[in-house]
Amino acid sequence: MSDTSFNAPPRRRFKVSRKFLPYVLSLPALLTCIGILIPFFTAVWYSLQRYRLSQPWNRGFNWGENYLNFMTDDAFWNTLQVSLTYAFFAVTAQLLLGLGIALLLQKRTMFNNFVSIMLLMPLMTAPALAALMWKLMTNPGFGILSYLASLIGLEDFRWASDPQTAMLTVVIVDVWVYTPFIMILLLAGLRSLPKQPFEAAALDGVPRLFVFWRITLPMLTPFLLTATLFRVIESIQQFDIIYAMTQGGPGNTLTVFQVEAYLNFFQSTNVGRSAALLMILWAITYVLSNIFIKNWLRLREKQRGEA
Amino acid sequence: MESTSLIERILRGIAITVVILFFMFPIFWIFLMSLQTNETILRVPPSMVFEPSLQNYRALITGQLETQTGTLEIRFMGNLFNSFFLSTTSVAIGLLLGVPAAYAFARLKFRGSEDIAFTLLSFRFAPPLLVLLPLTIYFQQIGLANTYGGLIWVYQLIVLPLILWIVRGYFEDIPADVEYAYRIAGHDFWATFRKIALPLAGPGIAAAGLLAFIFAWNNFIFALVLASADKQPVTVGALAFITASGIQYGQIAAGIILSIAPTFALALYAQRYLVEGLSLGAVKG
Amino acid sequence: MSLALNNIVKRFKTETVLNDVSLTVETGETLVLFGPSGAGKTVLLRLIAGVIEPDAGQILIHGKDMDGVEPEDRGIGMAFQNFALFPHMDASANIAAPLTARRMGQGAISDTVGKVAKMLKIDHVLHHKPKELSNGQKQRTALARALAGAPSILLLDDPLRNVDAKLRFEMRLELPRLLKDQQATVIYVTQDYKEAMALGDRIAVMSGHGIQQIGTPQDIYLNPANIDIARLFGDPVINLLDVTPEADGAGVVVSVSGQPLRLDAGYADAVGQDCVIGIRPESLRFVSKGTKGAIPVTIETEAPLNEKTVTLALTKNGREIMISRPAGEIAPSSGDAYVAADTSQVYLFDRKTGARVEHSSAENKKKGAA
Repeated sequence: MSDTSFNAPPRRRFKVSRKFLPYVLSLPALLTCIGILIPFFTAVWYSLQRYRLSQPWNRGFNWGENYLNFMTDDAFWNTLQVSLTYAFFAVTAQLLLGLGIALLLQKRTMFNNFVSIMLLMPLMTAPALAALMWKLMTNPGFGILSYLASLIGLEDFRWASDPQTAMLTVVIVDVWVYTPFIMILLLAGLRSLPKQPFEAAALDGVPRLFVFWRITLPMLTPFLLTATLFRVIESIQQFDIIYAMTQGGPGNTLTVFQVEAYLNFFQSTNVGRSAALLMILWAITYVLSNIFIKNWLRLREKQRGEA
Repeated sequence: MESTSLIERILRGIAITVVILFFMFPIFWIFLMSLQTNETILRVPPSMVFEPSLQNYRALITGQLETQTGTLEIRFMGNLFNSFFLSTTSVAIGLLLGVPAAYAFARLKFRGSEDIAFTLLSFRFAPPLLVLLPLTIYFQQIGLANTYGGLIWVYQLIVLPLILWIVRGYFEDIPADVEYAYRIAGHDFWATFRKIALPLAGPGIAAAGLLAFIFAWNNFIFALVLASADKQPVTVGALAFITASGIQYGQIAAGIILSIAPTFALALYAQRYLVEGLSLGAVKG
Repeated sequence: MSLALNNIVKRFKTETVLNDVSLTVETGETLVLFGPSGAGKTVLLRLIAGVIEPDAGQILIHGKDMDGVEPEDRGIGMAFQNFALFPHMDASANIAAPLTARRMGQGAISDTVGKVAKMLKIDHVLHHKPKELSNGQKQRTALARALAGAPSILLLDDPLRNVDAKLRFEMRLELPRLLKDQQATVIYVTQDYKEAMALGDRIAVMSGHGIQQIGTPQDIYLNPANIDIARLFGDPVINLLDVTPEADGAGVVVSVSGQPLRLDAGYADAVGQDCVIGIRPESLRFVSKGTKGAIPVTIETEAPLNEKTVTLALTKNGREIMISRPAGEIAPSSGDAYVAADTSQVYLFDRKTGARVEHSSAENKKKGAA
């Protein structure tokens, strides 16, 4: 081998200095997202204005008035209550159900793996389409669920059209779509737990219920926390299912934050109130998502470390 | 290790059956509906015995909706095309922008890189309407209203964070020495990125792309706010379809089945990566 | 001179890994970087390769400043301790990596790959992916990849670390010839002192963020700069005993096992200081009682090794010492015995700093030579 290597001219192409390289690589993505930041600030701006699309002449700053008005605004308190109720019931049900299913499917068998993949299908369904599916099934004329309800003595059970049961109906759809999410995260969590504590407990004849409360649950906590926060943040912002199912109705039974803001903007053309509503929703999700991201990062670090 | 009694096994069997019934029945029932005419759908009591027919699908695909009053044009196939076009293009652009950025965040730790990565992630959790409502006004002003371009841009909001965080994990898993070895052998940064980093992170990039596609496909709110009929994907189109077609329930069911089939197929194909994608790269399945 | 490092400083966060390191390597020379893990050997290699940058100092390759020069433009070949093979390419594509970078023709590339592979005896596994190769084959592939481009500087980062003992033994015999054939300047990192002694034209001993001593293997063995280096080089390990030199009429003496041991008069400066005396096991030999300077010991046990026998004994102060002798030489194997030290081969170290206490006559000699 001759010594031609060093004197061979290096191929010169588009060279970027090391200092700028990271920026060159990440800038296009960042710029794309900065376009999104501008509307965010615009929304803050709108929320401080008296602004109706139908009355452009009347537009002007009223500073905190939109927010102050909320104090005495029954519709606002209704929105807050409906959103929190929805999130609470949906996430609680998903958590219990998801944990239960994950425990049922914990063992790695062909059958269990097959079932867990099948159960993912609702999660892969667009929430808006899922709402339509349930709408077809709860149709008072031919809906299979209305028929089944009548079989157990619930004649004329009107599901989402009845203010009494509208919340129940959309929560069921939410549970149908998102329980698999919790289930699959917890299943991954359960299967990644170390085996020794369980073997030791089984050897000592510790009761299974005790093992569950004292070993399984504490070790599963990071997964439970991540999954729960994720779902709380998303369900408090739920729009697709409710809008596709009832558009917030009947009446104002289901006017959760985003639905109310959407209706305010496009129907009442009250931009100021709509923006202020969304700012409050944003404040809630911001706090939650900060907690979430911290917890999520810790989980990510741990899982990657073990992988 | 554990001794399962007969009663426990029976209880488990019942529980799993109920679970499968609850989660699978709606899909199964809608599929049955899609093969029926209004006549059999409206029977009381409902029955699973009927003569299956593909006429609903035929109507959707040809775009000719037969009703008592005459023939109605439906553009469901247009919606389906929009879904394909918007999702595919968004994911392609998302990969083009997101993969190099993911590499920068994984390998070339730079000032503020973590903060920027988190800011990008936090977009994922902000209420989408907060951004969408002002955007409707801006898009009117800069001529992006009701354009594919505008929609694709907004779709980056869901596509980019997903790609960034999943692919970043895969880049982090490549030993740095392997890349160094290629550099030292005489290849420049870009060649190393192309020939070493990209192929080795390939499975992760594919998974992130598939998942991003599913999320883009299932999105509803972006197009509801920003697109009018001719640019709407199936999620929004199906809703309008219900009002337009009135009582053609079989066709609605067929439309739903056609709309969810692609994501189901992709999910089955990418199932290995679903857990990782759904947890934004935190948990490996 | 093909490589020079001037006053290199490297910090990670706040931790200083290399502090003011300077080094020159001549063309065609094999320099071994030897030291415990964490001493900064690998960091130094990476700085030379250009995959990380120094915080201060200068790296010159063939007299050219490497500041801002990318790794691909430095004309270097490197083999990594963990092999760092490209997992998605077969062995032949791995080895060809330095050649494809140079727009060589396909024919020329496969000729060169074939030649290098043959030299390293891996020509039969060229179409295997790294995960189908044995550890030894991986190591040879990594080495072949480093050599294929005929680099003028070859960096080998502990290439024998992750291979089994038999292979390490074979490679230790094979490598010196291989490296000589390359005519390249080689920097070889190892933690194994035998490897360092066998391969290095010179050895740079690293510990505590810098280079402690640099010299030929013989030089380092015979004149260790401090107690750590004396301990690192030599098998069995050097005997170290706490002493305080005293002056008597004729010169300097220390007490070993209650028996005065006369040192070179050149150590007069050390009188009264707390010192450690280092006596290599092979500088001790058994003598009969009454021999001048005989040190009384009690033999504990004896371990016959291949080419030598090592005796473990206790001094009168209860300290363990080792005595080494060529295998087959007769010596007492138990009970009380006497040993004598070759006082021209003992070293004195400062107990506090560990630094070698210089022999003033040696200093004088050096000055005279300079």
